[in-house]
Amino acid sequence: MSKGTTPSDIAATRFTRRRLLATTGALVAVSACATAPVGAPSPTPATGGAAPAPGAPATVKLTAWTIGPDAPSYYRRDNLISAVDILNKKIAAENKKVEVDATFESGGQWGDYLQKFTLAAEAKTAPDIVLAGHENFAPWVGPGYVIALDDLIKKYQNEGGVKDVIPTLWDAMKLKGKTYAVPQDTEARPMYYRKDLLAKLGWSKDKIDGLPEAVKKGEWTWSDLVATAKEAISKNVVETGSGWYHRPSKGADFYGYYYLFGGQMQDGASGKLVLVKGAFEQYFKMHADAVVADKITPRAVYGMAGKQWHETVTAGKVLFYNAGTWTWKDWQATYKVPEQSLWDNVGFMLIPAATKGGKPSTLSHPLAYMVTGNAKDPDAAFRLIANATTPELNSRHSVESAHSAILTTQTKDPTYSKDKFLLATSYMQEFTHFIPNHPKFGPYDDVLYRLLGAVEGGQMTPSQAVSTAVSELQGQLGDDLIVK
Amino acid sequence: MARTEALPVHRESYAAAWWRTNATALLFMGPAAVLVAVFFIAPVAITFAMSFTDLATSTGLSNWTWNGTANYQRMFRSAFVWTILGNTLVYVSLTLAFNVLVGLGVALLSVHMDQRSGGLFRALWLLPRLSPSVVYALMWTWAAASPPFGMINYLVAPVGLEPRFWLQSDPWLIIILVNGFVGASFGMLVFTSAITAIPQDLFRAARVDGASAWQIVRRITLPLIKWPILFVLIYQTMSLIASYEYILLTTDGGPGLYGTEVWSLWAFHTALTNYYGNLEFGYGAAMAAVLVVMGLVISLVMLRVFRFGQLVAEPKVEVG
Repeated sequence: MSKGTTPSDIAATRFTRRRLLATTGALVAVSACATAPVGAPSPTPATGGAAPAPGAPATVKLTAWTIGPDAPSYYRRDNLISAVDILNKKIAAENKKVEVDATFESGGQWGDYLQKFTLAAEAKTAPDIVLAGHENFAPWVGPGYVIALDDLIKKYQNEGGVKDVIPTLWDAMKLKGKTYAVPQDTEARPMYYRKDLLAKLGWSKDKIDGLPEAVKKGEWTWSDLVATAKEAISKNVVETGSGWYHRPSKGADFYGYYYLFGGQMQDGASGKLVLVKGAFEQYFKMHADAVVADKITPRAVYGMAGKQWHETVTAGKVLFYNAGTWTWKDWQATYKVPEQSLWDNVGFMLIPAATKGGKPSTLSHPLAYMVTGNAKDPDAAFRLIANATTPELNSRHSVESAHSAILTTQTKDPTYSKDKFLLATSYMQEFTHFIPNHPKFGPYDDVLYRLLGAVEGGQMTPSQAVSTAVSELQGQLGDDLIVK
Repeated sequence: MARTEALPVHRESYAAAWWRTNATALLFMGPAAVLVAVFFIAPVAITFAMSFTDLATSTGLSNWTWNGTANYQRMFRSAFVWTILGNTLVYVSLTLAFNVLVGLGVALLSVHMDQRSGGLFRALWLLPRLSPSVVYALMWTWAAASPPFGMINYLVAPVGLEPRFWLQSDPWLIIILVNGFVGASFGMLVFTSAITAIPQDLFRAARVDGASAWQIVRRITLPLIKWPILFVLIYQTMSLIASYEYILLTTDGGPGLYGTEVWSLWAFHTALTNYYGNLEFGYGAAMAAVLVVMGLVISLVMLRVFRFGQLVAEPKVEVG
């Protein structure tokens, strides 16, 4: 008799609901366990991996993020790397050793870089040191992404060149009385002008070369710039709209013009943001007139691609144009303009005063090293920054990337003092302004930048733009805004 | 007297009975339900919860506080809220019209060609969808660049149009074309499939009766593909309400005063990008929450207007 299948066998092999549930549960449990690797190594502590051999120095491993985005600013990273050897010699007696893994981002966007840092900071994976604009730490202080440095500055005041930092730059490193960063560089945003085009207008060489001094003294004003640009257009020296180019995208440069009219951005006592209605109306009117009435600026410059902007100005097609000092080197590196060609054909001056005898203006945006809340050894991180802040290291960065000195001692540095461009633009620091350190500066800037586009596009008159700015910013910022 | 003793009766509890009845259904629906809960319901719930906080870069995840309806009040106090809402309506309605009409047109044209040519024609229309979004959008920004650059300027020169910076002078035209060429291919595929599924007998009979091409489209094709059209309309509307990537990559909401800023881009700009670093997650979440409500209301209205109930109703005759 063949062995038949009994009912009990069927019961044993039938895939009952209970068995299905149990099997599925077991599979889920196994899968869940599989996601947690058994015996996975624990993360390497930031202050070193394997325990040091007896007698060997304890190694502090630091990480640092830096950015250009202009390519020639790579010394922001390299200076930290160079400072490692300097620091290690100093701490050898303490039986300590520092290593740094520093990165430099070139060609990217500031917004992406800042976002990457904030996400990393929240995830506790931020580097020990981050380089950013001085205003960037304002929103980072609250959640502790960066730490106050006052005690460390005091403790290590003789380290590197910390005590030689130009005093006004420290003002840009403070929020509510505390210091959160160490300046890495600064610059100015000159008004560049084409010497060759002015010569075509009949200007003598002396007059062309004397223009920066005339602007500095307040003798040659904004109305002179407009008149010259209009003359150049009428005489076909430049095309319509090629008299003056402002910055093509959002950025701090625009506030250099606002300051011409008595603008103020932050209240010294309360730290609140300030909007001066009269100054902004004149600022909007200046831009509206340039685009709509005088046609010395094309409407297309607002929002123009950066590459196209630079290619147009380096081709010598625009009479006046406003850009940072670092673009002097970037035009050579990225747009392949020989340095001698720049000296022969391009001049630079402050933004001319609004009225005769008035004060010309420019704007600086110091970049700075910060110690993050994630730093396992803040002392080591700060000391590395301090040792990267020396006349030698900062000067090689200044010369390579056309950024101004941050140390009083740099002007005597052999590298810095040989650089004709840096020496020729150094006086601009006396006329410079900073943007405010305030967590809500973003909405302030966003509204005003969009209103500038509306004014240049003919959507609004300057007075309408000011009224809209006041009502919108009062709604957005509430008590954080003072309207004057 | 015989003593009667009650037999023990096993009384199953209500919960056990419910479990016995529904366990299998729960088991099979469980994974999908978990996915829906984790990826659809939880994000919406978190967004709504966040919208009542001041969560931002400046607070981090440790210092935020509940702030009631402050974000909503701030949003509706903005001088630009109605401009942005209007932009959203313009963007969704015009792009939707382009997507559906062009998709339908391409489908109708291509099914009337020979099969190989029709397939090739449709494949060409799929190219924008196949291109990486950033590359595709960048090509448009270069094509629409300011004079003397820009391929569009070269193309329109022979017809006497002045060269211009198209992204600034005609931003909506560029945005609708950029989105439309991608979106139309979706409708094209759905409509082509629906049209080819219509029995050919109907078309032959109509031709025998002397119907013109337009009459065939109007009286046979369109009525028989009304459900695919409804599907494409609703699906594309929802996609467009939430989409902003091509606007971000071309005009970034400009030019000027929120010229092409749509609601979803406003939320993105507020919550996820900031030139000076302070991302306002709570305020952005309030904007996103309003977007969710807008999407729900529009969906319900569309389902009612287009009688979705009839689409999912039991057939009146037995099929099969």
